This record gives sequence, C-alpha cells and structure tokens, in this order.
Amino acid sequence: MMNSLQRIQPPVFPVEKVVIPESKSYKLSNGVPVYTIEAGTEEVMRLEFIFRAGQIMESLPLLASTCNTMLTEGSVNYSSEELNRMLDYYGVFLNQSAEKDSAGIVLFFPNKHIQKVLELSHEILYHPVFPEPELTSLMKKRLRWYMVNREKVQNLAIDQFFESLFGKNHPYGRQVIETDFENITPALLSNFHTKYYTPENMAVIISGKIHNMTADLLNSYFGNISRGFMKTEEPVGIIKSEKTKRVHISKPGMVQTAIRIGSATINKRHPDYPGLKILDSVLGGYFGSRLMKNIREEKGYTYGISSSLSSLDLSGFKVISTEVGRKNCQKTIDEIYSEIKLLQNVHVKEDEMAVVRNYMSGEMVRMFDGPFALAESFRSAWEFGLDNSYYYRLAEKIKTIETDEIIELARTYYNIEELYEITVGSE
Amino acid sequence: MINYKSFTLENGLRVLVHEDKSTPLVAMNILYDVGSRDEDPAMTGLAHLFEHLMFGGSVNIPDFDTPLQLAGGENNAFTNNDITNYYLTIPSENIETGFWLESDRMLELDFSPKNLDNQKNVVTEEFNQRYVNQPYGDAILKLRPLTYKVHPYRWPTIGMDMSHIRNTDLDQVKSFFFSHYAPNNAILALTGNIGYDLAYELTQKWFGPIEKRSVKPRNLPVEPEQTEERILAIGRDVPSDAIYKVWHIGPRRSEDFYTLDLVTDLLAGGESGRLHTKLVREKKLFSEINAYLTADIDPGLIIVQGKLMKGIDIQQANESINEVIIGLISENGIKDEMEKVKNKFESSNVFSNTSILNKAANLSFCELLGNPGLINSEVDTYRNVNHGMVAEAIKRYFISSNCSTINYISTRKEK
Repeated sequence: MMNSLQRIQPPVFPVEKVVIPESKSYKLSNGVPVYTIEAGTEEVMRLEFIFRAGQIMESLPLLASTCNTMLTEGSVNYSSEELNRMLDYYGVFLNQSAEKDSAGIVLFFPNKHIQKVLELSHEILYHPVFPEPELTSLMKKRLRWYMVNREKVQNLAIDQFFESLFGKNHPYGRQVIETDFENITPALLSNFHTKYYTPENMAVIISGKIHNMTADLLNSYFGNISRGFMKTEEPVGIIKSEKTKRVHISKPGMVQTAIRIGSATINKRHPDYPGLKILDSVLGGYFGSRLMKNIREEKGYTYGISSSLSSLDLSGFKVISTEVGRKNCQKTIDEIYSEIKLLQNVHVKEDEMAVVRNYMSGEMVRMFDGPFALAESFRSAWEFGLDNSYYYRLAEKIKTIETDEIIELARTYYNIEELYEITVGSE
Repeated sequence: MINYKSFTLENGLRVLVHEDKSTPLVAMNILYDVGSRDEDPAMTGLAHLFEHLMFGGSVNIPDFDTPLQLAGGENNAFTNNDITNYYLTIPSENIETGFWLESDRMLELDFSPKNLDNQKNVVTEEFNQRYVNQPYGDAILKLRPLTYKVHPYRWPTIGMDMSHIRNTDLDQVKSFFFSHYAPNNAILALTGNIGYDLAYELTQKWFGPIEKRSVKPRNLPVEPEQTEERILAIGRDVPSDAIYKVWHIGPRRSEDFYTLDLVTDLLAGGESGRLHTKLVREKKLFSEINAYLTADIDPGLIIVQGKLMKGIDIQQANESINEVIIGLISENGIKDEMEKVKNKFESSNVFSNTSILNKAANLSFCELLGNPGLINSEVDTYRNVNHGMVAEAIKRYFISSNCSTINYISTRKEK
C-alpha cells in the first residue's frame, strides 16, 4: 500500500487548565467533618475514616500500627472471623493503615451494601475489644514478617534513613527492634484507642457515585458518639537529626547495594514547595528524569532510580532511591551528586523544561481522574490544612517557573553537605 | 456493562473501542501475541529484553518517551509467558501522539547496539533486584523447571539464565521483531475519552499503511501428564521455612477455569479465606499463606505458597494444606462461602473496570482469548459455578501425582 503519510509528531496541545471538582462538606451532629466528592460511572463508593492516630502519637514502637490492625480482630458484637467474613461477603475491600501522622481505614464497596458497611465500620472503629489471644498471635506473625523484611536491603536503608533524619528517639525516626514485639498489651491498645480514635480526632472522606442515604446513615452511626472530655494530647518528642551524614550497613552476600540520599525538607505548607516539586521531577521524578536517563538509560547500573518529595505534619523529606550492582555503588553516588551540582549551576534548557511542564500537567490530570484518585488528592492537601488552591498554585507554577528559580531552589534545598547518604549491601 | 465496538484493518490489526466520557484521558493498549513461551530454549528472556528495546527508538522516532511526556502522557509495558503488553494514558487532545508513537514502533525499530548492550545491563539488574537480592526470591525460578519438563513455561519470563540475553546479538533481535511484531499479531484497545469515529480514522491513518507480516507459526511442545509427585528441598539462609506447592490445571479457555478460580478464592480470597482462617489463625502453622492460579493460556498451574511459623514441622505444614483443600469437597458450611466469593468476585470486577487502563488491558486480553464479550460475561460464568463442580475439580486436580512441592528450608540455626 503506497501512501504519503508523514510520520512526524502530530501537533501537541498544551494540557488544558486542570479542572478539579470541588468537594462539599458538612458536619455530623457531633461535629465530625465529612467531605464528599461526587464522581465516577459505577455504583461504587470509597469511604475513608481518618484519625490523628499515627506513629506520631505513640509512646512505644508498633503501638499505632498494632492498634489499627487489631481493629478488625474482634469487637463487642463480632469475632474477628465474623468481621472478616462479613466484609468479604458484602464485597468490601478494606485497607487499614497507620502512617507517620494519621491512621484509619478505607473501604471500597458496592453502593447497595452501604448500610451494612456503615454498621461494620462503626463496630470496627468504635467497639474493638483487643482480645489477648488474637494479639499474641498477631505479634508472632508480625515478628516473622519483620524478620523477612529485615533481609531486604531497601527496608534496612529506608529505616536507617528516617533514623538519621529524624533521630533515634522521635516516632518519625525510631527503628523497630525484635523485642518491641513483646511489649504491646491489650491495655496499651485500649488506652491508645480511647485517646485517639475519637470523634474530635476524626474526619470522613467519601467519593464515588454517592448513595443518597449516605449522610443520614453516617449520622445515625457516627453522629451521636459523644465527644470525650479528654484533651487530645500533643505528640511528644523533638526531632533531632543524627550528626553522622554517611552510614553504611553491611549485609554480606548481597549482589546489589541499596542507596538512599536525601534530607529533611519543607512540606506542602511552604510557598517554595511547588517549585521544589518541579525541581524534584527534573532530577528524578519521572521516567525521563536526569537520574533515570543517566544511571539507567546511559550507564545501565540499575533497574530503576527515582527521587521523591514527601510531606509530614512536623517536617518533610526528599529522598533519592535506587538499588545498584555492588561494583557500581560509588560510581552511582558520584553521578547523583554531579547531577545535583549541574542543577545548581547550569540552567535547564527550555526543551527539557517543556517536557517536564507538559508531563507534570498530564500527571495533574491523572491525579484528578476518577473518584478514587480525586479522594486521594483531596486528602493529601486537606491533611496539611490546604484546599484545591494548593493544586491550582502548583499547576500555575508548572506553567510559569523560570530556570533561574530552579537553580535557586537547587542551591537552597540540595546543599550537598547537608544530605544524608545511606548505603546497605555487602562489605 | 462495558460497551465496545470493534473492527479489523486490512492488515489484520484488531481494534476495540470503548468510550467513557467521564474522563479527560484516553488509554491505549497494544497487546502483541508473543511471550516467553515463543522463545528458543537456547535464547530465553528475549521477549522481555525486547520489550525494553521497544523504548529505544523506532524508524522515525529516536526516543519513545520524550515526545509522549511532552504530550502529557505516561506509559509502561509488561511481558509474561504469553503476551507482551504496552500501554499509555494521555490527555484526549493529544491522543494522536499516541497513535504516531505506537504505529512507528510497530512499523520498524531502530535502536543502536549501544542501547542493546545497555538494556542487557538493565535487565540483569532487574533480575538481581527481583530474584537474587530478595529472600525467597529464587523459589519461583526453581518452581518452573520442577513443574514443566517440556513446555516453554519451564523457564521464567526474565530468562532461565542471564547468559542467554548477554549472548543475544542485534540480528537475533531483529529477526525476533519481524517474526512476532506485526499488525496481524496485535490487538489495539482504546478506552476513555475517544469516540469510535475518531478512533477508526486515526487507526486507519497511522496503522493502516503497515504491511501484514508473516508471523512465525506457534508450535509448542505439549507438556506430558505428570505421573508422580515431585518434591524438591532447597536450603537457604532465610528467617523461616516456606512451602510452594503447585498442581497442573487446564488452559485458560478450558471449561473449569472459573471453577478453579473460585477454588483459589475459597482458599485464599481475602482475610476470611480457608487457608488463612484455618492455618494462620486457628492452627498458627503459617505466618502468611496464599493461593492463586497462573491464568496462562496454555495449561497452567495452581500455586499455594506460605511461610511457616517458628518451630513448625514442614511435613505437618504440607499435610495441613492438603487437608484444607480436601475439606472443600465437603458441603459443610460451603454454601455461604460460595456466595461470599461470588460477591467478592463481582465487586472486584466492578472496581477493576473503574480504570480506563484496566478496561483497555482486559478488552485486549479477552479479544486474544477469542471473545471480547468475556469482559461482561465473566461474572455470570463465575456465579454459575456450583459446589458439585468445585468438588469434582478438587478430586480431579488436587491429587499427589499432579503435585510438585518445594520445601524451602531455612539453614539458619536461630529460626
């Protein structure tokens, strides 16, 4: 077949202004805030209950995560087996998590089971009984998982990274050790639960094709839980980073070495954050980033290398992560620093900026595509007291940032002397 | 219900279109009917290495990723035993860039010897990261040759030995391309914010001119029936013992596929699966246990794998797995559990289809199986499985002469 098709790139249109559906909000009778985002085509919902009950609140390692996991291990009205069986029976996907700042549960379910889902959520969140036999068996299991995880260089590296950044004694930095698994008791869990899984500590985020009974049912299950008289405690402990910038952990026999390089940094609340996010993308935030091009596509030292920027309530951090063949470890580290220096001294060319700008604009469209992505994006701004204006600022910055500012940000936030360098591997 | 329309170009490219206006994005999925089962036993890992090379430049485009990122798109790919699947999402206004990119690499690749060498290194690091530097990482590599003696499923997608891809040269790579990458050996699915007419027009424009190629006919050796139980013991410096048990099953399109899928859900679907309830919670023999089927197009496997608690005898653990499986033959308590896994399957199906990328991948794969309508009928087929079918399948497949086991033993003194 003959034809005259010119195989050149079709015109590329700038990604249109990001449009973010606004969430709505209301309060339950007892004041618990509820945020709703109506979206999607299927008769399903995502329901998230968030509490300020993360590691930051724990006096002992594992307390926050164990309390969260034990929520489904038996309640006043149901055994753990019954709870798990019912959740599966009603087609519910349940995620439980306790992160550094917050903890909670997320339920994905077919709309027709809304009533049952709310009943079970209420049971799980407000009437857990923390039975001793379940706890003992959970801690034994978790110890086995922990021991397997400690065999992986990437886990050893990230745990040490947090310790170096935030200190041995702060919940953000404290590492779990084997004996920690023996210290958790039902009384400790119950006490933690009473203090932090409370209406004043709670918020609800709902997205999907929201069932019209949702607000009423939510209020009937959660709106009359009385607020406690207990004053919510503020987190204890002061962030104090370790002095030693370079730590190597020896793990004999490993063919690859894990590398983590980074430091504590500003979080989303800071005006420089959107710019830093763009700098992070240029450096290692997407497949076409400089680190990926250099370390993987040019040199073949690794299957993957990336950098990322994360926010915490009391801090934030940036980290470059990779696993490389043992013999290429030092060469990789040298290349990482030289890429950072390049960003501090040489303007990013406009054609590379165009790729980053357009890629990031496309990424923003993906961040708000569909009910589940919308809820996650909402949450990750809301947690820092921010609203959609944060995303509009980011979108604007992506379009307008100048390369002078990139240099300035690289000099301010990537001071090489201040970066921590963690390696885990043989030798 | 997923509505779709389909058409086939003169060059044999099959195309499926599903419009979903609720998203500003389009997902584009191209499935090539080639996987590691199509490799020469002396050159395994080539299909997967090839997937890496598909990003290294095509006849008119020196670099695949940059123009896509410039158009706000994102992409990736995977290779398995059966297929190589490439996918991207892109804001709908720039979908034509997706057509330009994907059609060019179907037309002809043009990557450098340096790129080939470099991707060999990247894949070697991928192998090390996934299989060597992970505790229990090599179990799955050992499982294949234990289970398959003849069929190419006996080697893993990444290759049975890294020396195979190290020794691959440019000519072999090129010949692989022309024997397997062809419009008549591919399926294109477009989902999201794109109408049928535009999809048709752009497909004709960009893929229409690519000529049909003569695809290497597939003629794979048939795995003979296993006649006796196989057991392999491996000693490794890991924290606890582990067990991997596999049974041969039929091909993806066989009638009892959904029955066996349901069996694995009864065993290990969610926290309330039988293996977890009985062996992790009640008897405390395992710290974790899972069961799944490989869903391979040629006769595949059911795999049960678990890590043992401290001090548990591996023989006892093995027997306990068999007991739980055999327990499914009894009608005792099974009715509610059947209903439970059916509800969960339906729910999981709905959730999977909330993503345009999943819809595109599922439509392509169902088309490869011979019927894109499977995407809508699977839930009913699964719902129609009854306990008699479950009991029959258990009796037929879960017999010791059909089973292979790896006892993965911790050589550490302090367990």
